[in-house]
Amino acid sequence: MFLLRAAEGPRWMAVFLLLAALCCLFSPVVMVKHENFKTCEQSGFCKRNRQFADDAASSSWVSPYALDPASITFKDGQLAATVLKTLKEGEEKVRLPLIVTFLESGVARVTLDEEKRQKGDIILRGDSKARKERYNEASNWAIVGGLDAATGAALSAEAEAGYTKVFYGDGGKHQALIRHHPFSIEFQRDGETQIKFNDKGLLNLEHWRQKVEKVEKVKVEEKKEGEEEKKEGEEENKEQEPQGEDESTWWDEAFGGNTDTKPRGPEAIALDITFPGYEHVYGIPEHATGLSLKTTRGGDGAYSEPYRLYNADVFEYELDSPMTLYGAIPLMQAHRKGSTVGVFWMNAAETWVDIVKTKSITNPFSLGLLGKTDTETHWISESGIMDVFVFLGPTPQDITRQYGELTGFTALPQSFAIAYHQCRWNYVTDEDVKDVDRKFDKFKIPYDVIWLDIEYTQEKKYFTWDPLTFVNPTKMNEHLDKRDRKLVAIIDPHIKNTNDYPVIDQMKSKGLAVKNKDGNDYEGWCWPGSSMWIDAFNPAAITWWKTLFKYDSFKGTASNTFIWNDMNEPSVFNGPETTMPKDNLHHGNWEHRDVHNVNGMTFHNATYEALLERKKGEIRRPFALTRSFYSGSQRVGAMWTGDNLAEWSHLHASIPMVLNQGISGFPFAGADVGGFFGNPSKELLTRWYQAGIYYPFFRGHAHIDTRRREPYIAGAPYTEIITQALRLRYQLLPAWYTAFHEASTTGAPIVRPNFYIHPEDENGFAIDDQLYIGSTGLLAKPVTQEGADSVSVYIADDQPYFDYFDYTLYQGAGHHTVAAPLEKIPLLMQGGHIIPRRDRPRRSSGLMKYDPFTLVVVLDKDGNASGTLYVDDGATFDYQKGAYIHRRFGFDGKRSALTSIGLGTKGTKTDAYLKAMAKVRVEKIIVVNAPSAWEGKTEVVVSEEGAKESARRKKVAFEYFAKDGKKAAWAVVRDPKVGVGKGWKIDFS
Amino acid sequence: MGKQHLNSIALLLPLLSITANAASDLPRPRGVGPEFAKFYKDREAFTCISNPSIKLDISRLNDDYCDCPDGSDEPGTSACSYISPLSPPQPSRVKIGQFNETLALPGFYCKNKGHIPSYVPFTNINDGVCDYELCCDGSDEWDGIGGVKCEDRCSKIGKEWRKQDEARQKSLGAANKRRKELATEAGRLKKEVEDRIKTLHTQIQGAELKVTALEKSVQEIEKAEKGKVFKGTGKGGKVTVLAGLAKDRIQELGDSLNRVRDERDTARSRVEELEAILTKFKEEYNPNFNDEGVKRAVKAWEDYAAQDHAGPDEARDRDLESILSPDDEAAIKWEEFESTEEGDIELLYKFEEYLPESLRTWVDQKLRDLRVVLIENGMLADPHTDSPESKVVTDARQQLDNAKSELESDRTELRNHQEDLEKDYGPDDVFRALKGHCVNQDSGEYTYEFCYLDKTTQKSKKGGGHTGMGNFVRIEMVTVDDDLPADGKGLGSGQRYGLKYENGQHCWNGPNRSTMVILACAEKDEIWKVVEEEKCVYKMEVGSPAVCGIKEQQQQVAPTHNEL
Repeated sequence: MFLLRAAEGPRWMAVFLLLAALCCLFSPVVMVKHENFKTCEQSGFCKRNRQFADDAASSSWVSPYALDPASITFKDGQLAATVLKTLKEGEEKVRLPLIVTFLESGVARVTLDEEKRQKGDIILRGDSKARKERYNEASNWAIVGGLDAATGAALSAEAEAGYTKVFYGDGGKHQALIRHHPFSIEFQRDGETQIKFNDKGLLNLEHWRQKVEKVEKVKVEEKKEGEEEKKEGEEENKEQEPQGEDESTWWDEAFGGNTDTKPRGPEAIALDITFPGYEHVYGIPEHATGLSLKTTRGGDGAYSEPYRLYNADVFEYELDSPMTLYGAIPLMQAHRKGSTVGVFWMNAAETWVDIVKTKSITNPFSLGLLGKTDTETHWISESGIMDVFVFLGPTPQDITRQYGELTGFTALPQSFAIAYHQCRWNYVTDEDVKDVDRKFDKFKIPYDVIWLDIEYTQEKKYFTWDPLTFVNPTKMNEHLDKRDRKLVAIIDPHIKNTNDYPVIDQMKSKGLAVKNKDGNDYEGWCWPGSSMWIDAFNPAAITWWKTLFKYDSFKGTASNTFIWNDMNEPSVFNGPETTMPKDNLHHGNWEHRDVHNVNGMTFHNATYEALLERKKGEIRRPFALTRSFYSGSQRVGAMWTGDNLAEWSHLHASIPMVLNQGISGFPFAGADVGGFFGNPSKELLTRWYQAGIYYPFFRGHAHIDTRRREPYIAGAPYTEIITQALRLRYQLLPAWYTAFHEASTTGAPIVRPNFYIHPEDENGFAIDDQLYIGSTGLLAKPVTQEGADSVSVYIADDQPYFDYFDYTLYQGAGHHTVAAPLEKIPLLMQGGHIIPRRDRPRRSSGLMKYDPFTLVVVLDKDGNASGTLYVDDGATFDYQKGAYIHRRFGFDGKRSALTSIGLGTKGTKTDAYLKAMAKVRVEKIIVVNAPSAWEGKTEVVVSEEGAKESARRKKVAFEYFAKDGKKAAWAVVRDPKVGVGKGWKIDFS
Repeated sequence: MGKQHLNSIALLLPLLSITANAASDLPRPRGVGPEFAKFYKDREAFTCISNPSIKLDISRLNDDYCDCPDGSDEPGTSACSYISPLSPPQPSRVKIGQFNETLALPGFYCKNKGHIPSYVPFTNINDGVCDYELCCDGSDEWDGIGGVKCEDRCSKIGKEWRKQDEARQKSLGAANKRRKELATEAGRLKKEVEDRIKTLHTQIQGAELKVTALEKSVQEIEKAEKGKVFKGTGKGGKVTVLAGLAKDRIQELGDSLNRVRDERDTARSRVEELEAILTKFKEEYNPNFNDEGVKRAVKAWEDYAAQDHAGPDEARDRDLESILSPDDEAAIKWEEFESTEEGDIELLYKFEEYLPESLRTWVDQKLRDLRVVLIENGMLADPHTDSPESKVVTDARQQLDNAKSELESDRTELRNHQEDLEKDYGPDDVFRALKGHCVNQDSGEYTYEFCYLDKTTQKSKKGGGHTGMGNFVRIEMVTVDDDLPADGKGLGSGQRYGLKYENGQHCWNGPNRSTMVILACAEKDEIWKVVEEEKCVYKMEVGSPAVCGIKEQQQQVAPTHNEL
């Protein structure tokens, strides 16, 4: 992309002309370049372990791992033992320390390490300075809590011989059954096995061994460069076996012109994890794939490659593929009717996951009964220790909560961050930015944030402004601030390696850059050309990074400037697979291979830290978007799905991708609205906005080569329809903010797939093209087909659902056709919810801060409804000191009354906040599915806490609208004038 | 000023004014403009403006709750601001179509005493932002939301506005004057063309007569000369003539060769520059950044570079140098031929023997061509027929040819002028006076230049060549809708003249550059703003006196083209 950009200069025109003459160029074929990314076959450790799995499939296979019963100790919820790996006859067994920790939360953690390496008792090849241990610090980055060991966990006395059994979890409902020989573990809930480790015998910890040079071979066969295949394998090299192990990928590996020197040799860690009786598994983002994961070892409609987790800048990625993308969350959950369980494979190295589903007939005599399906997964990581968390559910909510307790919940963002973001590569001048800003106002389209991609910098030097195009950034920020709007500027981890640039000078002189295998500053290519990368694993680097963001350091930024971290996989244009060489060294001399997948998160963390306090005393919630991520990234910002294409298929694919982020603990996610590459048709752009309003992170973005496509460009009727969609998002911001609050306290997704809301509904387990917004009961089905005039919405339960806009009723489990001409957004309200809204359109969300609320009470089949609302100042951390409003609204059908009850706890800042919000009221209450008994009613009685005696029971106008065909009856309470932060009751009887 | 003072007192003491005007002039409710005052006179009830069937108690007027489907009960709050086709639909009250559900009012009326009154959109009322651009008296934030206080700035803003308005008017006057001058100048230029056309008509008539006469004369001379053929062989003048012709021709050839050599050198240095660029391109491109176009380009470059390209041959260059040098030993001594009386046509046929070996083949070919031309035109006798043409005939023919070519050039000129008169030069032909006139403007890293009816150019300040942003193709009408900045340097809204420039330099991964230059009235020619609206599609906003004071009817005369 950079090259294309640079090509615009006149000099390059000449080049173009010549090139055009030389060959016929530029048929814009857009497709991922597979040759740039490894297949499992091309990734030595993956290939070895797949082969291992194939070998293990034979009936004679016995896993060579056994637990030494004599080594078992159990103390304070922690079981420690040694697993012995048997090598060939007569060789010393490899000692692998095992620790199983039973946590108070009911989660179990299993770690397996290699004793020799723990002790540093190995020799590295090629004078490598790399650490000798297996990488064991992923938890330092990923885990923030939830590690309290279970006091109640206990060894069971009644275990059979050859087994160790531990009871743990709430009421001892969970148990871990550890088989000694061969070593395996079954995790049970209520006596039923949910998860099995090493049931298939695929546990494979490639122990350290010394390379044995094959002298005679090298002499004879010089024609083959690099490593010799086959022959003599093991460290002792005593036996002369006719067939040794295939060493071709042990000692170094070349790919795409880069050679990985692998100073520690083969060191993969792999394990099979089986979910008996579970047909669906979800998670392990990021992949452009459906929510319910496919099998990966070939067959009809299946993938033939494993799901890969190796954060990479994949250019023009393809859909329906297990290929790796920008981020990795190695959390998988398995789901069946009545139970959800999960595993979190906490490893930061390149990881591949094979999935196989096997059907078995449980009872051959029960004709017509379906057999049960087991899902068998095979986890393969290149290096590091084995460190796995096991969640036994039993609900999807349990998984997201427990995972969130470990890795942290989504940070509660500033309120602007969940409004609409307008981005483009690039708004080219400060005047351009102001002009776009004015146009939004002129067309009465709300937006909150405008973004700057890399072109704002002076020659791609971050923390600078191009003095010719961004002449006065301060004035630009002030202009935006007038309407409470924000600016997001990009800052990437590659620092231009050039003269006259203090940032690179400081980074070099302080030694804060990532090093190459020889310990010198690593130099690679990215946007600025020659660059170096900040090593955010180094605490000193974070300290330094923080200084760069101070307002008096990064001049031209202000309190309404926020940051976007791109290219943090890291993307290195001339590196293997567009990233860093694996033998690069990070802080503490960990190899890049060990830490690759957390690299992006460390950088994102550093940016978050830097944004926390840019001016003494001015502490605001940071906003930082990241492209690369790992478990824990949700604590510091939002992510987007990277460089998608302006095609219907990419719009379609964005829904399951965002849903998957949600159930994987990082719900603040979205795709580029409109599609990054290419020019969307007006219809596609419109539909994408209508879908984008359901992305928790909602940003329009476009490539530099595309035509402008701000919503006001499209013209009638598109601009009007897009504006309606945007205003719908803004109208529902209170509901969205409440959902974010819930995510930040319980780990629940912000947009939720069908199975998460209806875990008992087997027909809906694979549904991933519709979504629920938080706990609001709002069910959206975005249109992702060209020319569609209706959609089929799947309803899982027997509750009534009502069209959001005209209250048309849809009821009954199954598919319902909902009209969806271009101007119509298919959105239903599930009966039983109360949805908070703010109906007054404003220019930005900040200007809605003191607007009154509308409550939409959607009665369920029994005439009840409830809902919550969370409000705070949307900017500071004062909410942690009680400066918020958190209400539960409940409509009781029997008593025919609507009440507002406080859910908050009082803190030091509560009173001041409530005072500031005292005038903010509920201006309207709409009751959908109103009982016919209310016909003719003209008044309801309102009582509010703290009101004067005379106003204790106040009559308020009420209007009833009868059922009209399929449109449900509804009613309106006219301006009850009750404070949104107060307790009150409205009596409809 | 006195009157204004009184007004502000009235504003400060609304109660007083109510009492004073109680009977005739009730105060209007907040946000109601004078043209809607009649709907708000009833003190007991309010009737929705567009839906008179709905009558409300007066307490519901401006009570921050939207009762009227047309929003007319909330002229002073934002309660009805959601009534808009831009908002998500809400269920109609009772039946769709029963009520008029579009806003009855244009917005919140700001009195702006001391400045110009205006309407503020309801969405901006009590949102915590003082919208001084529209509401300089700050009355849009009457509720003090979030503690906001909007002071009345009308006197300052109004004063500033009047000052600028005065300047604008003054400038407008000057601009109109300038336009008149331009129109006069354009008229003069047009007249010049028309006069020239007249002259040309006369000239052509004359030239036609001359040609006819000469044709006749040539025929006669030929006839006469034919008789002479056998009377004598003349004085060997043919060789002299030939030598003269050959000398000219050789001179011409030498010049051509020189030019070709220069062109070759330029091309060679360009190729070298390009190769250097490409070498760098290959070194610096990112092999992992998977742009198929770039990769193919690099591959193609590698293939190209791998081919065996013959380098410049210095020996040949030296030969060429010597051929072209008049002082060279091998050069032909034309004097010898010019003075000699002994004619020998054979000499001409051996002409090439005088040339250096290296040039011979090439010249030989050219000479062959020349010979054929000479023979065909009767200037050189066919070597096999012994009937040379006399100098008299040649001269006569020469005269005729000259006369013919004069006539042709007059005709061409006439045609050009006639076409020019038919071209669109805008209203009053005003752009005729500006054609080729250029205006420059610095913007960011570039200097932009636009030349009336000629071309637009982007010149990088960082060095490098100029980039053509398009060549003029036509005049269009463009509809614009912009806010006019205080200094008046903007397009404003309405129909504007646009000059469309197309087919500029091609963009990498994009179209050929093109520019739409939109003109708005200003005193001086000035580029106000250059925007790259889309990839390599530019818009220039330009102030020009040429488009000042243009009446609607004139604009309608102009062809209507697509809007921007």
